[in-house]
Amino acid sequence: MTTFRQQLKGRFATLGLIVLVMLGGLLLRLWSMEVLSGASFAAQAEDNRIREVSIDAPRGRVLDAKGRPLVTNRPVMVVTLAPSILTREDSATVITRLSALIDVPVPDILKRLSSDKQERLKPRILRADVPMTTVSYLVEHAPEFPDVAVDAAAVREYPFGGLAAHVLGYAGEISEGQLQDENLADSRIGDIVGKAGIEAQYDKVLLGEKGYRRLEVDSKGRIRRVVAQGEPRAGKDIVLTIDADVQSVAEKALADALDEAHRQGYTKARAGAVVVLDIKTGAVVAMASAPSYDPTIFLGGIKDADWKRLTDKASEYPLNNRAVMAAYPPASTFKAVTGMAGLQDKVTSAGASYFCPGKWEGMGKQWAKWCWNHAGHGSISFTNGIIQSCDTVFYEIGQKFYERKKEELQSFARSIGLGSDTGIDLPGEVSGRVPDAAWKKLYNRNYPEYQQWLPGDTVNMAIGQGDLLLTPLQLASVYAAFGNGGKVMKPHVLQSVLGPDGKPTVEVSPVVAHDPKLLAGNLATLRRALVGATTSGTGRGAFSGFKIAVAGKTGTAQVKGKDDYAWFACYAPADAPRYAVSVVIEQGGHGGSVAGPAARQVLATLFSQPWHPVHTTDVSR
Amino acid sequence: MSTSGVKTVTDRLHFGLLLAAVALAAFGTLMVWSATAGMLAHDAMFKRHLIGLALGLLPLVGLGMSDYQKWKNWAGPLMIALALLIVSPRIPGLGASAKGATSWLEVAGQRLFQPSEPAKLLFIVVMAAMIAEFSGRIDQSRDVLRVAGYIALPVVLILVQPDLGTGLVFVAIAMGMLLVGGLAPRYFAIAAVVGIVAIGLLLALPGPLEAYQKDRLLVFVDPSRDPKGAGYNLAQSKIAIGSGGVTGKGLGAGSQSNLNFIPERHTDFIFSVLGEQLGFVGAVILIGLFLALLAAALSISTSSRDLFGALIAAGLLAMWLFQIVENIGMTVGMMPITGIPLPFMSYGSSAMVTNLAGVGMLLSVWSRRYGT
Repeated sequence: MTTFRQQLKGRFATLGLIVLVMLGGLLLRLWSMEVLSGASFAAQAEDNRIREVSIDAPRGRVLDAKGRPLVTNRPVMVVTLAPSILTREDSATVITRLSALIDVPVPDILKRLSSDKQERLKPRILRADVPMTTVSYLVEHAPEFPDVAVDAAAVREYPFGGLAAHVLGYAGEISEGQLQDENLADSRIGDIVGKAGIEAQYDKVLLGEKGYRRLEVDSKGRIRRVVAQGEPRAGKDIVLTIDADVQSVAEKALADALDEAHRQGYTKARAGAVVVLDIKTGAVVAMASAPSYDPTIFLGGIKDADWKRLTDKASEYPLNNRAVMAAYPPASTFKAVTGMAGLQDKVTSAGASYFCPGKWEGMGKQWAKWCWNHAGHGSISFTNGIIQSCDTVFYEIGQKFYERKKEELQSFARSIGLGSDTGIDLPGEVSGRVPDAAWKKLYNRNYPEYQQWLPGDTVNMAIGQGDLLLTPLQLASVYAAFGNGGKVMKPHVLQSVLGPDGKPTVEVSPVVAHDPKLLAGNLATLRRALVGATTSGTGRGAFSGFKIAVAGKTGTAQVKGKDDYAWFACYAPADAPRYAVSVVIEQGGHGGSVAGPAARQVLATLFSQPWHPVHTTDVSR
Repeated sequence: MSTSGVKTVTDRLHFGLLLAAVALAAFGTLMVWSATAGMLAHDAMFKRHLIGLALGLLPLVGLGMSDYQKWKNWAGPLMIALALLIVSPRIPGLGASAKGATSWLEVAGQRLFQPSEPAKLLFIVVMAAMIAEFSGRIDQSRDVLRVAGYIALPVVLILVQPDLGTGLVFVAIAMGMLLVGGLAPRYFAIAAVVGIVAIGLLLALPGPLEAYQKDRLLVFVDPSRDPKGAGYNLAQSKIAIGSGGVTGKGLGAGSQSNLNFIPERHTDFIFSVLGEQLGFVGAVILIGLFLALLAAALSISTSSRDLFGALIAAGLLAMWLFQIVENIGMTVGMMPITGIPLPFMSYGSSAMVTNLAGVGMLLSVWSRRYGT
């Protein structure tokens, strides 16, 4: 052991010497720079007159599936004032005159100039969208307005107005929270970033790269010349799966459905959602949510009063995209799910027959439940149970599921993507809820007497009530799966990202999110029943005379303390399915009379069918 | 462990090493605080720095308590792990690249760490196991070729990333270990010639390096090169350090570092901030602390019970020495600009954890210096 150390003695000495020489060299260099030439470098630092300001990059555009711009940029004239104005003796006069000219109060101007949260030398935008007369006055009298500049800037423009406002979202000034985000380390106060919808989801794609301007300034900080400049790089354009034509009809149908609900006496109806999916790819063709908002109010910073109004409870939260952010009891639209679960698990069959007495006492007399048809459907088959939306049939199926004690109904619901996010590329999606024994126990952890999962829980779930919650998007994607042979596709709104030459650089390909392995025979049984529902069942009024075969189901959800929620979900054409549509109208009344006609209105556009307002009645649930 | 082995805890710990490491980590924390002071993400970044320090204590203690002689048995798997680490940023779905060369391991959009940092330590262990087999004498040309092969594999892998800076660190580590490992002097001369030719080729051929990389490499020779990019950065860094004078402008007070003249001022160019704010005195203190660290590594290398341990310590010494000289050297215009962090000082958790793990490795070698 000592021998190897002795052998290595010389080598260690060499290593030590290298360390000393190298660190000594560094010290020598530092001595020369900091001590000997320190004064000269100090003078250079003092004289360092180069300042850098960033140049904002225009955000990318958002196009619809056919290449029509949904969001674009509009050049506007902005009046800016450089903070160096404060070094001038006549600054007070200039600011006062400018204030009157552009109609911005003096204190506001001073506040913006002194904000230390912005780049020191970056000119402050005092007002965007200045009238041409003001612009020409400022240009003509430029010498009287030192440090004032009229610049071209870009603001978001919406060629289709408020169309698809919830999908597109909006951009706004970066928040304090976002500034702390290390992923946005290059951001500064005043930057515009996406806040909701696509603008937020694909902010990084749309953002672009800032340019810079390196300026030489004099000792008072006044700009003398531009030393170097790097041009900003505009953000990338993106193409959505949304079709502006279909979207526009979906929004119209939603508005008409609300009117129809009012006409039928459901005066509290103010909110709802419509989703249209391409059943093969999961592409969102249209997604509407009511109430909506005007995205232009966010331009140049939203006013406090507007923000208060949009976030007030009384306004029904118009900023929320109900298609993905709201979960509702799906009511009878869920009977298709329960039915498929029953077929798959052999709890029922196409030919199974039931008896509906109107008042069902399957769980005992004290737990009697009513079918929506109090007179009873009498002897009724499984298929007719769906067509007539007979509650008793599904009470029976639910009870059978309960008795098997395997939570198969829940497992099936989860296997088609319910109870979890669909994974759509939009922020704020909620996952809904598939209730089971474990959930109930946890949910009622402080109420021991309510923790037990009861037969009634499964029975209620079987008719889409109870604690079950779905988003309109989830329901549409389930019906899409019933239509496409059983594959639950991951819904998406992004189609592609365009390169500078306008050619797609990234294209989104369809992804199978869940494959519940539905048997073809069961799918055919369900299709017959759903087609029956729109031809001879609860949806026949809404679809009478419609030339395209629609496989759909009405729903009328009971929500405590509120009027009934109207639902309709379908895929069409039934024999060669292409689209799935779901419609919900909060407190809109019955599915067959309010939601069904709205779905028909959308389908009429998708399949170029004539359309006229449908007024019909529906008393089912 | 034999009866003549370690008796007390104090005997197992190398206090010079620990003091130097603690002082450097504290100094680094102070400088990261100061360098990020004006940044908007300051709080989050400083928190991350502290988390990095805390995380680094795990490998420090863990490796310090483990028996380094057992590491030798793992040389094979470690070699594979090393190769995987190096190429991991290139594996789709795992990798991410920031600012051209700094490669990250990324899972589901979440950045984990820079694989090149722990790779340095794996490289040291693998190399030590391999060189130790020659029992302190490498002068047969066949042996030399074998050694060169072992070195070339990871170096080439890392150069094609491309991560020139880390590649150079690997070469420096190998050189330091080969010096202790007994490579005959004439081969060092050959290595120097090969190195110069390789660098010449890299710069002369159009393919391997991007124009901006060449600018960064050559700007210290010719400051007028790329005056708006790398030349500008270097000039501003030199002004910052020079203007610090003898005692500096005071912590947090430098105009150069506060006015955003210095790019990457919390990472690669943190020494410029130190030079400006704490002056020559601060620089002397820092270099003194580095000297203490390297001296401790050297003393541990000389007291190791076997060549394997001595080589590990020498590798760590070479790693730190090269990074110190390269990093400080680039801020004062003595060395080309490469993205190599200053040990214990630069912001960055991957490097911090790696450096603290290195301290743990030294402790392991030191604490088992007795016995046969």
